[in-house]
Amino acid sequence: MNDTLIIDTLKSTIEVATNSKETITINYWFWIAVVEFIIITLYFTHNKKKKLLSKKELFIKNAKESEVDFGNIINSSFNVKPLYDELKTKCHPDRFPNDKIKNKIALELFQDISKNKTNYKKLMEIKEIAINKLNINF
Amino acid sequence: MFENTWNRILDWFSDRTERAKLIRSFNSSAKKSFISGEAPTLLNASISKGDRAYRHQFSNWLKTGFRIQAFSGRELSKTEIKQIGEVILNDDVLVRKMIVLGWDTLEIHGDKGMFGLKWQLKDYMALPK
Repeated sequence: MNDTLIIDTLKSTIEVATNSKETITINYWFWIAVVEFIIITLYFTHNKKKKLLSKKELFIKNAKESEVDFGNIINSSFNVKPLYDELKTKCHPDRFPNDKIKNKIALELFQDISKNKTNYKKLMEIKEIAINKLNINF
Repeated sequence: MFENTWNRILDWFSDRTERAKLIRSFNSSAKKSFISGEAPTLLNASISKGDRAYRHQFSNWLKTGFRIQAFSGRELSKTEIKQIGEVILNDDVLVRKMIVLGWDTLEIHGDKGMFGLKWQLKDYMALPK
């Protein structure tokens, strides 16, 4: 009698234990999924932030890495105006109305002159081109 | 978080050095040009208070002005000051560098007279949002 009772209780305890184990495993997997979800969302938000920052960071990086030609800037501050005026008049496309090739070159040079009107170094380069290609005597 | 703070501290120190280096390079080039006779006037750059109305996203807390003084011994005309300003502002590399290093105002004046001009740097460069 006692043996059967013990066996029954043992059986019932084993059943309870297995049931509780199942519930525990379900909870366990649920929490793993929650943690995974949090990690994935954090990863994506972090990446998104990184992408947003990258434009700004790139701007800063480019600015810091570039070299400034102060010699040219200071030279341009005082000497660019007369050079620009000279080039503007001597390289004007209207000075070459009959020669189509020279007129085209003069037009391109004139556009470059207007674009670089405060850059002494660039204007000197344009002057060299004008001497060689348009045969202008400065 | 600690890494971010540490990086910010390092960036702040490196920016201070870069600012000083830029000013020193400008002044030494100006001196060389004046001595060689390329420039008739000696220019001298320094850091000034700046204008708070010209602030942008990279502006420093204090001292946001890039001041250039022209030692010409006479009062400079508006056209002369404008010419120097235009040359500096048309140099994209310099303007970008000045903005990134925390300057937001460019000031130019002579050593005599009370006339000077100032520009806001953000007008001359498209800044990233």
